[in-house]
Amino acid sequence: MATPVNIPELQRRYAYLVVFVLLVFGLLIGRLWQLQVARGAAYRAAAADNYLQERTIAAARGAIFDRAGRLLVGVRPSFDVYAAPRFVDEPALERFLRELRLDPERARAVRRRVAAARATRRNQRLLLVRDIDRDQLAQLEMLKPELPAFDAVAVAQRHYLHGAVAAHLLGYMSEVTAEDLAHDARGRFQAGQLVGRYGVERLYEDQLRGVTGVERVVVDAHGRRRHESWAAALLGGQPRRVAPRAGNTLVLTIDLELQRRVERALRRYASGAAVVLEVETGRVLATASYPAFDANLLTGRLTPQQARELLDDPGRPLLDKVFRENYFPGSVFKVVTAIAAVEDGIASWDEHATCKGWHAFGRRVFRCSHTHGKVDLHRALAESCNVYFYLLAERVGLDRLARYARLFGLGATTGVGLNGEVGGFIPTKAWYAQRGRPFRLGFTLNAAIGQGSVKVTPIQVAALYAALANGGRLYAPQIVERIETPAGETLQPFQPRLRRGIQLRPETLQRLRAALVAVVEDPKGTGHESRIEGLSVAGKTGTAQVIRRGFATMRSLEDHSWFAAYAPVEAPQIAVVVLIENGGQAAKVAAPVAMEIVRSYFAPAVAAPGSTTAPPPRAGRGAGRKP
Amino acid sequence: MTGWGKLRAHFDWPLGICMVVLVTVGLANLYSATATTTLTLVRQQLGWLVLGFGVFLVTATLDYRLFYRLAYPLYGAGLLALLLVLLVGKSVNASQRWLELFGFAIQPSEPMKVLLILALAKYLHDDPTVEERTLRHVLIPFLLVLAPVVLVLRQPDLGTALLILLLFVSIMLLTKLRLRAVLTLLLAVIAASPLIWSYVLRDYQKRRIYTFLDPSSDPGGSGWHSRQSILAVGSGGWTGKGYLQGTQNRLHFLPERWTDFPFAVWAEEWGFLGSVALLAVYVVLVLLAVRLASQARDRFGAVLCVGVAALLFWHTVFSIGMVTGTIPVVGVTLPFVSYGGSSMMTTMCATGLLMNASVRRSSY
Repeated sequence: MATPVNIPELQRRYAYLVVFVLLVFGLLIGRLWQLQVARGAAYRAAAADNYLQERTIAAARGAIFDRAGRLLVGVRPSFDVYAAPRFVDEPALERFLRELRLDPERARAVRRRVAAARATRRNQRLLLVRDIDRDQLAQLEMLKPELPAFDAVAVAQRHYLHGAVAAHLLGYMSEVTAEDLAHDARGRFQAGQLVGRYGVERLYEDQLRGVTGVERVVVDAHGRRRHESWAAALLGGQPRRVAPRAGNTLVLTIDLELQRRVERALRRYASGAAVVLEVETGRVLATASYPAFDANLLTGRLTPQQARELLDDPGRPLLDKVFRENYFPGSVFKVVTAIAAVEDGIASWDEHATCKGWHAFGRRVFRCSHTHGKVDLHRALAESCNVYFYLLAERVGLDRLARYARLFGLGATTGVGLNGEVGGFIPTKAWYAQRGRPFRLGFTLNAAIGQGSVKVTPIQVAALYAALANGGRLYAPQIVERIETPAGETLQPFQPRLRRGIQLRPETLQRLRAALVAVVEDPKGTGHESRIEGLSVAGKTGTAQVIRRGFATMRSLEDHSWFAAYAPVEAPQIAVVVLIENGGQAAKVAAPVAMEIVRSYFAPAVAAPGSTTAPPPRAGRGAGRKP
Repeated sequence: MTGWGKLRAHFDWPLGICMVVLVTVGLANLYSATATTTLTLVRQQLGWLVLGFGVFLVTATLDYRLFYRLAYPLYGAGLLALLLVLLVGKSVNASQRWLELFGFAIQPSEPMKVLLILALAKYLHDDPTVEERTLRHVLIPFLLVLAPVVLVLRQPDLGTALLILLLFVSIMLLTKLRLRAVLTLLLAVIAASPLIWSYVLRDYQKRRIYTFLDPSSDPGGSGWHSRQSILAVGSGGWTGKGYLQGTQNRLHFLPERWTDFPFAVWAEEWGFLGSVALLAVYVVLVLLAVRLASQARDRFGAVLCVGVAALLFWHTVFSIGMVTGTIPVVGVTLPFVSYGGSSMMTTMCATGLLMNASVRRSSY
């Protein structure tokens, strides 16, 4: 079969073939050089990035106790689901969301989170779902062989043991936002972490958080952790595990039992605030803003629907009305007017005036609550006669009034720093001048009875009345008694902080106190109806107009109802301030609430039938404390 | 002399050594690629090897003229098998490439390459036209090639179809074509490419091409394999991570480690030096085949050797090119090294033909 072949012709073409073969293989070798030698180190690092995974170990967040050692905020065991985005492809994610029966809203959030992390943090395990329930956990364990990338991790979920109790003081937590992370220069936060958003959870975030630990592990392409020795050897000299450091413990100044009773007392009305201060130290024994929220709901698993409901609630549950809202003080402010008048000798306690139920000033008529007839300063305070204070105001002047108001801490934040505390406002002539409104004496008249442009917060009023009770020492309210290590050693005790000692003439103090006692004890006093048999209480009612009546276009709102008090009169222990929003007559609304709080403080068992016997309010810690 | 005696007398040692080296590398590499999961594949591959060596011995010792005479019937049988694949074949990953036979799954498109080489060799041998072929002379060989290409594309298996076409081009380039014919063919290919894009290529194939052009377009999907393979090769560095130490391999980041990406396993564990050494063996093998072609006494032998050289060359280039991200991802096996019976049989058969030609060259 041999056919002659044109040998020389073919030979040349074989030579071309050889050249071609060598050329192509040369190109391949060039490519290998480029990948393995030129870029080898970079690819080696990228390959290590494939199998090295850093898993964060959450630090135990510090617990929060009340002054008696009762646990307020702790943790409960729960399970979160984590996965590294790299191992979560679309079908797996769909399957996961379907099997766990996540509602569409949560499912969307999970998808967003995975999509966001795919680009940048592909290897870091990402928190997908927080706090799954028992059924979901069982389901996930069953699906483990098919969905190996999803890990249920036992974590400690923040738990507010008493639900909504002291909600605004304790606060709540929520997940760090992209914005938080962007501003987090010190690297304090990880994506998916919860941070304190409100209350002491926010204020003491740095103390409570602790330091996140990290564990370095080797994973395979399916996200499974490999324990074999050769796999472990890949970790090299890097530390395998950096243990987390638990956060510190907060011991608050509040008393849980008192706090509960304060909240129960407030619940009679739609919305309000109450605060109880320890007169001799400025410690906050209870602070309540009603309506409140359930911190367990807000922490981590609030749905947008629930968020809307909270935001739309007319009672403004997310607002801390003790620290965060300005109110006209109404007649509780009259003590300041009285002090301003008598301290500088502008008026004396015994001057009389006649109240006809109104006071004509310029072309306006300023009204009084009653026709009080002939009154002196004592009766004007006890019976809350506006006319007397109008007359006094004309002589005292706005700036003197402002000076005394500021002296007692009104119109400025108390320095607690909680929940974006607002400062209230005390007007001066200069302020009116700045605003371009010609000053009129009528402004002073309104200011003298705590209206006009005077705005205060309940905590300011409480600090003022505590100062009247203790003889002029204005304390910065204190909410944290001490910070402890996780082991229970005191790390930082907080001493009462005196803002200023106010020197009042003994006579001023004595007669002012007598007037405040008369508010409750005198049959004609505005608080008389709510007096407590066997316990002397000094106090002052305030009924603050919210919107001036007669503005036809605006819906007329009920007055805010105030009562500020301290007790017992002989040796004051607590100052109590109650504000009922749009409650109406103080004597009928705020005063009974305040009195119930006072009564519950001094006779806990009587005030709260059915509740267990509370430890004495100043008892040391121990009983309720977890080991 | 019998075929066996001739083989013993004139055994082509360089060829044999290349084969043994590659087979050994392949087994060691397969062991590394599968050690973390199962040894079944290594055992199976050993079986294929024994069988393959048998095929090698048979093709190396059988009378050369037998292949010449049976070229067309064998080619016809191959076409029939490809047709059967489409009718009763087994589907794996949405493409139908396998035939169940005696409990074995065989991939007829693999042996078809050798059968096609034989058919082309016979046709060119018989064609009285010596040189200066025009388009008319190319028509019948082209039809010979077109039939398997169309059948393979229906599976669909783009890689194999492309390989068959390249075999054809390689062989035809050896026979002198008129320049005009070459240019016309070139124009035809360019003109046909939009049609191929629209009617022949499947969506996943287009996606692979897009991903190859812009790997960042789909880092999670079809770019993933390519990316992981490049990582494996690149992270090998100069000397590699060491045998059984490749992290991309052992932690399963590499896809298709034993069929389409075995070179990545090798490159990761043996580095640039090991990769070049392995490449060198392939170069020697291909050049041995080219030299055998040049020493052939007849056109049948010459075309056969060039065809086998092209087969080994393109398989190696495609496989390594894909693994190094030099060309888009197409599933092509690495001769002697990839796991798989059909591939091993085909390669052994092709090498057997080379050995046959080598022995015959010195025996006349």
